[in-house]
Amino acid sequence: MSLSIFLSQVVPVRQKLYRFAYRLLENEDDAMDVTQDALLKVWQQQEKMSDLQNMEAWCMRIVRNLALDKLKARKYRRAEDLDKATALPAVHQESPHTVAEKQDVMNRVHRIIGALPEKYRTIIQLRDIEGYSYQEIADALAIELSEVKINLHRARKTVREQLQKLQVYGV
Amino acid sequence: MEFNKVRELLDRYWDGASTLEEEEALRVFFNTERDDLPADLKDVQPLFGYFAAEADIPEPVFPDIELLIAQSQPQGVVRTMAWHHWMKYAAVVLMAVGIGYAAQRFESRHEQVLAERSIEADTYDDPEEAFAMTQKALALLSRNLNKGTSQVQKLSYFNEATDKLKAN
Repeated sequence: MSLSIFLSQVVPVRQKLYRFAYRLLENEDDAMDVTQDALLKVWQQQEKMSDLQNMEAWCMRIVRNLALDKLKARKYRRAEDLDKATALPAVHQESPHTVAEKQDVMNRVHRIIGALPEKYRTIIQLRDIEGYSYQEIADALAIELSEVKINLHRARKTVREQLQKLQVYGV
Repeated sequence: MEFNKVRELLDRYWDGASTLEEEEALRVFFNTERDDLPADLKDVQPLFGYFAAEADIPEPVFPDIELLIAQSQPQGVVRTMAWHHWMKYAAVVLMAVGIGYAAQRFESRHEQVLAERSIEADTYDDPEEAFAMTQKALALLSRNLNKGTSQVQKLSYFNEATDKLKAN
């Protein structure tokens, strides 16, 4: 693959890749890093490009893997931070009730989506926010089309139940 | 869009059976300000509001990808002149001199050892000749030894004479 093909076929999907990374990582800098790393990885594995049927989906898979690696690393860091945080005096901690009151509806929905298992969350984000087709999601996540539909149905079902709880109990 | 139609689309949405167009219609519907929204639809509104808000991710300014690719390439081999490696050559010469000197020392030492050994080597190749020469040497030794014994015999005569005089 020449540089011109790379620039004309891969670089235009960079924005899409960034958005996907951002959805997974919820951090602009990390999403930017992952996007750049993914593009470099694609360039380094350019000999594979000719065998690919869906180049964009392949790029998405690379982004997802890199983002998940980053999340894993971040999880360890968070665990360390939490260990340190337990040493803080209790006076700094707000009650769950106060925290709940401060959050607006958007934040509550955000929490519901964020609490979904990673696969459900990714599928719902790709479908309901990014507007991807089932086939595009299947290619990006390297899963079957039927699996996409089942997971999307389960994800929406969970979101619906959580939304109903939110309306009824306000939690 | 009529509320019943929205409910119908929502049912398909929850079942995971809606098309992209139907989902887009729901997004447009719920993101339009309405005062007369029934309670059941009002409950769902935040979800589609969230989807619309989340779709607006600020686009970052990406660095030049060509520059990034160029940086990721392995650096070209830097050509240096042969004389830039003078230290290597000096080390090789020094080692050669050292090895030569050590070989020379070994050689001279070896020769010295061989010379020392040659002194201890056999003087005759023929055993009979060697035996005859040994006999001759022992005979010479014996002769000289007998000469000494005769002198000591004289001394014993003198002792005996002295003892007799003392006894008288």
